[in-house]
Amino acid sequence: MQSSTRVDLVAQQLQKQYGDRAVVRGVSFALHPGEILGLLGPNGAGKSTTLGMLYGLVVPTAGQATLGPFDVRRQGREARRLMGVVMQENNLDPDFDILGNLLTFARYYRLGAGEARARAMALLAQVGLAERAKDSPEALSGGMKRRLVLARALINDPKVVFLDEPTTGLDPDARQDFWRLVAELRAAGRGVLLTTHYMDEAERLCDRLLLMKEGQVVGGGEPRAVIAREVGHEVAEVEGVDPRLLADLAARSGSWTRPFGGSTLVPLPADGEALWQAIVELKPARLTRRRANLEDVFLQLTGGRL
Amino acid sequence: MKALATAAAISPWGVYSVWRRHADVYRITWLSNLLPPMSEPMLYLFAFGAGLGPMIGAFEYLGSTLTYAQFLGPGMIAVAVLFQSFFEGAYASFIRLSFQKTWQALLTAPLSYTDVFLGDWLWATTKGVIGGSATGLVVVLLGLYPPVGLLYSLPVMALGGMLFGACGLVTAGTVRNIDQVNLPTFLFIIPMFALSGTYFPRTNLPGVSRYFAEILPLAPVVDFLRWPYGLPTYWPWQLAGLLVLIAATGSWAWWAIRRRIYL
Repeated sequence: MQSSTRVDLVAQQLQKQYGDRAVVRGVSFALHPGEILGLLGPNGAGKSTTLGMLYGLVVPTAGQATLGPFDVRRQGREARRLMGVVMQENNLDPDFDILGNLLTFARYYRLGAGEARARAMALLAQVGLAERAKDSPEALSGGMKRRLVLARALINDPKVVFLDEPTTGLDPDARQDFWRLVAELRAAGRGVLLTTHYMDEAERLCDRLLLMKEGQVVGGGEPRAVIAREVGHEVAEVEGVDPRLLADLAARSGSWTRPFGGSTLVPLPADGEALWQAIVELKPARLTRRRANLEDVFLQLTGGRL
Repeated sequence: MKALATAAAISPWGVYSVWRRHADVYRITWLSNLLPPMSEPMLYLFAFGAGLGPMIGAFEYLGSTLTYAQFLGPGMIAVAVLFQSFFEGAYASFIRLSFQKTWQALLTAPLSYTDVFLGDWLWATTKGVIGGSATGLVVVLLGLYPPVGLLYSLPVMALGGMLFGACGLVTAGTVRNIDQVNLPTFLFIIPMFALSGTYFPRTNLPGVSRYFAEILPLAPVVDFLRWPYGLPTYWPWQLAGLLVLIAATGSWAWWAIRRRIYL
């Protein structure tokens, strides 16, 4: 199932206002074929609303979403022919068996019965559910349900796939399984727009990130580059030292601190050996030196834990 | 305005495929879906027709002499249409909207909001026609209604199904939780079920209550279903009123559910 024509998904100054509450405040970006773009942000940052405006279930207050030549609002039907959507909720049909869920969905795309069946069986094989075709979706585990929703989203061979927090609530094995499938989407040339608040998921899967906070994009880029730019390469986690003392120390080295659970996070600058030594001399109850990651970027952005 | 025009776009295939989804679910679950609600008009038919009928004897209805069971038969067809279409629109659509999120899933496919809405509405109408026909068949088999009368009554059942299906969809789009569906059921559906001329001629009612019963939306449906025995002289007005009500309630339902989906 290779996608051949180049179709970009473009958000232009998308805004969403509920009453006098601005949820999304001017978000613009483009998603290219064969790219996994991650929207990252704390709860309430506007990720799902942005996604909703892009696939048409949320009406933007201002701005425009286009997929290839189609305006998502004015030509929703045409645009959604090229999309596959995995919403936060599974919304499978409990009254149909697993195959029936796919075949029913195929009818909305007006796929012929034979083609629909062939495609449904191929997709069930791809997501590892071929043996379960006649079972009820209710009998599936959480991870299997997500894989089935993904298979349903792929029924019309979409150019762009939306994944709204696809692995929330799944165990580590199920998440790994799902990641493998997402990587296959990219390999097939599809554009993938993903929201998540799992930092490891974003770091591992995404080619590019957009960091969202309070309805705006506050940064972005390739994951390692974002980490290097926002935090640096290494951080210290310090426990059992007065945070104000650490903040003073960090500021003198051009760094900063953030509360991190019961400890304090201190990014170590490139020439941070002096800062590290200074922290060691404070004899903390616990001290860890590790590679910076996206979670640290988030702490920097939000000022606290997610 | 543009967004409204987009939401209003209709594709016959889209409407059909949504209707077909509901019909497929019904095919799987028809026994548990059809029997309990159908037992109600059948029970009334038996209890009042066989139990109460002999005490009443024959009486005049628009120039025809009818037994009470003959009078009651079309009334029970109307009740089946009312219950089946209203509760499909109110309960089943609410569940698809708020619990199963079926509407939201459908709207990720190449369907417009109006496709999905019309598919649901058409299905509620279909349920009304199925319920009315099943009760009608029993009424015909009991010799209480002419077989050809049932055939020609199908469009009346469809109109009734459209109206009460739309009332159900307005409910689904308006209530906050499933318990609130009781409110229109007890304030609107049950009084209508009792007073619209289903169990007795509305002319029996005293004073103003007769005029109140006359304007209940089920009244013209019941009257039209009794067409083999005669129609009120003002039936064209009743038909016009029914069509206006269908258009108004359908538009209200379209708006109410749309407001719920597109926050």
